[in-house]
Amino acid sequence: MKTLTIVLTGGPYISEYAEIAFKLAEEALKQYQVNIFLYLDAVHIPKKGQKPSFFTNAGELFIGLAEKGAVIRACARCAAARGYIAEEGLENESNCRDYIPGIKISSLYELSEMLSKSDRVISLSR
Amino acid sequence: MESVFYLLDAAPYGSEKAFGALNAAAVSLDRMDVTLGLYGDGVYLVTAGQDSTELGLPNLSDILYSYGELKVLVHEPSLVERGLFEETLIETIELADEEDFLEAMENSDCVILF
Repeated sequence: MKTLTIVLTGGPYISEYAEIAFKLAEEALKQYQVNIFLYLDAVHIPKKGQKPSFFTNAGELFIGLAEKGAVIRACARCAAARGYIAEEGLENESNCRDYIPGIKISSLYELSEMLSKSDRVISLSR
Repeated sequence: MESVFYLLDAAPYGSEKAFGALNAAAVSLDRMDVTLGLYGDGVYLVTAGQDSTELGLPNLSDILYSYGELKVLVHEPSLVERGLFEETLIETIELADEEDFLEAMENSDCVILF
């Protein structure tokens, strides 16, 4: 199976890239292994407890993608800078209590690994 | 993927984009052929003699210079448009016109935009 990696660098609600990435990933999972790497402000996307009045809830958007097989990782340096801390022993299938299930904080080296093992890469940034 | 082109068109300070692009390029060096392409305001990154101490930030030009194995492609028209062509630039860069810049992007397996 071929691998697709999607790289996001922007936060939620400033653009539609989170929604676009979700839709692309959901469709691509039918024929690709899908990786999503959250970098810079994109580490805000999977935050729990978001309550947007008029927009799609970015935090809940990616719920279920990991269950379908997507590997979703957030940059540790970017996450720590914004208050998201990796912890061990959590029960929500994440390593950050502020994140929705299935999304883990990881080293930036994982971006390099994802890219090198991918057949296709999509970068969404503004 | 065997090669990656990180495209930066944002100024070095005022946002995290340049720092993020530098870090992403650095961690990719041991796995892939890496090019950091600087376009638009991104070309400010290669001006020598930056002093970022009052910003409380590392000197990104010095960091870039320290990665001698990183290919840094600078869009020459962007330098000219900003009056930087006659300025002192760090030594580890390559200048590229529009055609060469595009060719380098085309020849890379993927492009990551910052």
